[in-house]
Amino acid sequence: MRDVLKLSVLCLVAGIAVTGCKIVPDPDPAETESSGAGQSDETRMEAFAQENWETKVLPVIQENLVPVDDLRTALATGADAAGEKYGLRPKGEANPWNFAVSGQGKIIEAKLDSRAAKLGVDTSGDGAADVTVQLGPVIRGTALRDAMPFIDFTDFRDQIEFAKLATALNGMAHASISKPEGDVIGQDLRFEGVFTLRDPAMIELVPVMLEIGG
Amino acid sequence: MTITRRIFVSSLAVATALSVSFAAHAQDKGLIAIITPSHDNPFFKAEAVGAEKRAQELGYETLVLVHDDDPNKQSEMYDTAIARGANAIILDNAGADATVAPVQRAKDAGIPSFLIDREIKESGIAVSQIVSNNYQGAQLGAEKFVELMGEEGNYVELLGRESDTNAGIRSSGYHDIIDQYPDLNMVAQQSANWSQTEAYGKMESILQANPDIKGVISGNDTMAMGAWAALEAAGRTDVIVVGFDGSNDVRDSIKAGGIKATVLQPAYRQAQLAVEQADQYLTTGSTGQDEKQLMDCVLIDETNADKLETFALSE
Repeated sequence: MRDVLKLSVLCLVAGIAVTGCKIVPDPDPAETESSGAGQSDETRMEAFAQENWETKVLPVIQENLVPVDDLRTALATGADAAGEKYGLRPKGEANPWNFAVSGQGKIIEAKLDSRAAKLGVDTSGDGAADVTVQLGPVIRGTALRDAMPFIDFTDFRDQIEFAKLATALNGMAHASISKPEGDVIGQDLRFEGVFTLRDPAMIELVPVMLEIGG
Repeated sequence: MTITRRIFVSSLAVATALSVSFAAHAQDKGLIAIITPSHDNPFFKAEAVGAEKRAQELGYETLVLVHDDDPNKQSEMYDTAIARGANAIILDNAGADATVAPVQRAKDAGIPSFLIDREIKESGIAVSQIVSNNYQGAQLGAEKFVELMGEEGNYVELLGRESDTNAGIRSSGYHDIIDQYPDLNMVAQQSANWSQTEAYGKMESILQANPDIKGVISGNDTMAMGAWAALEAAGRTDVIVVGFDGSNDVRDSIKAGGIKATVLQPAYRQAQLAVEQADQYLTTGSTGQDEKQLMDCVLIDETNADKLETFALSE
């Protein structure tokens, strides 16, 4: 009897582990009010990210997806011209452009044994990495958040809550891709994702889709 | 108290006299009040100077006031600005909670507020809240710090004033990066309230208790300067210090091989932008922007310190 119980508990745990879903309870409004910053911000923003991921975030990326070669051609005429054509950003002069981009190339660098794992991909065929694919779990930047037209900073309490939202969205991206294993150098990679334009020569991508091999 | 009050009143009189003299040159577009924390910190001075210059260029009289991070004083200054019939108020505020009431009071009196640098806890009261992207900036600073530390060793964090949202957000940005490196070990975390002298004292005692530290990451540049002075006095110039703000003091320290890096907040441009939005709002009834706006920060190290001057980076 005890063994059966143990086994079923094990199955349950394994079941949760396999589905990889995270159960995020709706925060009690009263509790959120009183507990202030910290944990509750994180929990609420994780719930927000999860709620909007399939229904809003991924559709925005699909609608605005531009092939990396087309984007590069546009960027050659200037960041703002490319931004007006393909980019996404919050209003205001101070905000850099974000782009949803798709492409493929050869993996020529890989750093997989890090919390900030990444791949260096050559998409232009010149032998040098021009796209850095962030694999996480630590994904830097706020590209995903800032590319979303339905997300407005004014609707959030302060920068702390807003930062947690960026982290939560990056977390969703990390969870939606599978991390490549083993020797990946020389393999082909197809990707879709979002990045913030800082240096046109180096795209630092937050991927939402990766396909390796070929 | 009476003395402070007298000084306050007399400085008000001077300010009044000054703005009256400006009135002769102004194109009579009205008065813009510019209220910031103490100009002792060059960051706030740069804001006030940037805002004042732009306001005068656009044809406004200006009234420049300093609240010294005292919410009561800030409240009095709001009353002064309202009584003087200011057309708009540019504010770097004295507390995310305490500022909601005076901004609302001005709004009720028909005077719009344009906030810079620090947010308040509510939206829909101020017309604009333009703040540096502190989280993005802190992550830049932390990445540089991790690199300088070689991803390992004991370090200290100096925090800003607790009532200021920017203190929390910068710390959170730092830790979201640093905590991913298990060999980086925080041995002390203390607030020095943005103050140079306080940071000096705190650093001295932290150093006594933890002589084996390798780095200090600071929530702003004035505290970084205080910490660096204490480290220098103790002969510990081997310690890696990283700040936040992009002040000329830290720029000079970086160039002299002292402090290693800082993060520039575009304070001067931010203040000017707030005035431009105030002008647009007053002339057209709308800024054309969202209320809350973020401005990106830039990492400053030995490679670009040369280009930094008064919270702006030359091209």
